[in-house]
Amino acid sequence: MSEMWQEAMVEAFREMMRRGALFLPKLMAMVTFLLLGLAVGWLVKHVLMRILSAVRFEVLCERMGLTPALAKAGMKQDIPHLIGRLSFWMVFVFFAFMGVDALDLPATANLMSAILGFLPDIFAAILVALLGILLANFSGEAVLIAAVNAQIQGARLIANMVRWGVVIFTGAMVLTQLGIAKEIVIAAFSIIFGGIVLALAIAVGLGGRTIAKEALERRLRREKHDDELTHI
Amino acid sequence: MEGTAWEQVQEQCPDVHKIDLLIGLPSFNQSSTIGSVVESILGGLKASLAHASALMINADAGSQDGTPDIVKEAVGNLLPVALVKPVTEGMSAKPFVLNRLSYSGMPAREEAFRSLFAITEQLQAKACVVIDGNVRSVTTEWIDLFARPVLEKGADYVAPLFRRQRYEGSLTNNLIAPLTRSLYGKRVACQTGGGYGFSGKLASFYLEKEFLWEGDAARFGIDSWLTTVAVAEGYQVWQARLGTKIQDTKAGAVDVSMMLAQAVGASYHYMEHYQDVWEKRSGSTAVPEIGQTIEGEVESAAIKVERMVKGFRQGLRDLLPIWEIILAPETLAGVLALGLREDEDFNFPLSLWVQTVYDSAVAYHEKVIHREHLLKSLTPLYLGRTASMVLETRDGGPDDVQRTIEQGCQTFEAMKPYLVERWRFQ
Repeated sequence: MSEMWQEAMVEAFREMMRRGALFLPKLMAMVTFLLLGLAVGWLVKHVLMRILSAVRFEVLCERMGLTPALAKAGMKQDIPHLIGRLSFWMVFVFFAFMGVDALDLPATANLMSAILGFLPDIFAAILVALLGILLANFSGEAVLIAAVNAQIQGARLIANMVRWGVVIFTGAMVLTQLGIAKEIVIAAFSIIFGGIVLALAIAVGLGGRTIAKEALERRLRREKHDDELTHI
Repeated sequence: MEGTAWEQVQEQCPDVHKIDLLIGLPSFNQSSTIGSVVESILGGLKASLAHASALMINADAGSQDGTPDIVKEAVGNLLPVALVKPVTEGMSAKPFVLNRLSYSGMPAREEAFRSLFAITEQLQAKACVVIDGNVRSVTTEWIDLFARPVLEKGADYVAPLFRRQRYEGSLTNNLIAPLTRSLYGKRVACQTGGGYGFSGKLASFYLEKEFLWEGDAARFGIDSWLTTVAVAEGYQVWQARLGTKIQDTKAGAVDVSMMLAQAVGASYHYMEHYQDVWEKRSGSTAVPEIGQTIEGEVESAAIKVERMVKGFRQGLRDLLPIWEIILAPETLAGVLALGLREDEDFNFPLSLWVQTVYDSAVAYHEKVIHREHLLKSLTPLYLGRTASMVLETRDGGPDDVQRTIEQGCQTFEAMKPYLVERWRFQ
């Protein structure tokens, strides 16, 4: 009996030691991956920030209206810093997933391939979001200037509607790209967009019928609305 | 596919090899006016330039009303004449600019000029006179006024100088002419359209400089840069007094912000190119003029100042975030203070206007925002300054307006160091 107990104990200890001996290199691999992730992430961040600084990316973002747009959204850091931090965390997370994969746990068996498979969608979504913000600012500014020069009283309202229309459209595209609640996003977007158009149609048709008629008449009859000055 | 402009001329006029004078007629659907323009030119040639060998070129942008046929019929056998059609892509090949004509109201205008300069060079013409086909007020003297300074007085460029209503050409008088004068030191009125005279030397210079024919400034602002380049490059510039201009398609039929963007954009564009030239020049000199001075005021049309002031106030309310980027803080403070004034007391001071123009030129150079947005956002400021000038002078005579314009030019000159400093150290 005591022999059997002794053998069981030794066997269990041996098994634990064997498992420990098998797991330790994996753990060390994970720690190595994490440290590598920190180092490579830091390096990528600094190299990227240097390059962005050399090509005056900050000035470009300012000009394109990206910096003011992010500032309005509460983002205090400048864009190159933001991109630097983002690149650091992306590299680190990439290495961390490799580390987790190195542990060879059954629960995280296909984690890395799943993450890698999702990466193109994430990049595409980031690109769409950036382009969307730029387009929203550009169109909003163009509409504002055009409406002010045409002396339309609700110029700012119209410009904001255009800006937010593009932002909402971009948001829907980003979510669809990421595959997050695809059906809900499409349905919600259709309802909101259709609702806005319907509301505008009703508003113009009922409330602004006379104004619309007068504006059309003025336009079609080419009535002189401007002063008689020849500017050039 | 048509050949080059020169090939088209060779095909139609194989016997013409060398001439004294090339007469260019850019046209587009101008059957109602082109006949009388040609008759005036022919009358002028017979009266004062009978000894000169000449060739007439009708650079037509694709008229559908038989304009080229009218030209040929009117000329008959009196003069060799050739029709030149646009051969490069021109505006029609670019869908995004289809709806954007230059403020001259003529399509493919830059192509027409380029073709005329190329033919001038090929034929070694001493002078090239270009007269727009839509001007009703062309007289027999015009051809002499444009050609004689070039052929006999050593002029390289003869700009048109029309007798105008007191507030006509307010953008030219308040911005383009004073800016050109302060930058390049020549007192030219910078009036556009109607007609021009060029020496063969200047035509060749325009032709060989590729940068003049590239970009929006070339495409939409040819009437602006012809003068700018001539004064900046130090060519002999003259002005021809032509009386009153009556034309079918009024220059500036496009909306004011588009016109401002094109004309002012061209001036700012060449400021970048000629930085080395204008930084060194100071003061200004008058340019020689030819033609009779006609006294008396042209009847002026009604000006709706209230609408302009309203436009300025709306700009102040809605475009402030953009003006904050474009204007220097002290300029912006001055502009903001104008919003507190009543309509009757509205006054946009000259010095503030000059600062605004110089600040926007620097902002254009620095590309602080999209350039077209920058230029168009100046419209309310320009309307404000114009309204102020009208309010200042409407009870006075035409001399008061001229005096105010001259004061503006002098202020532009006096404040040039402000521009140079900001341009260099912004």
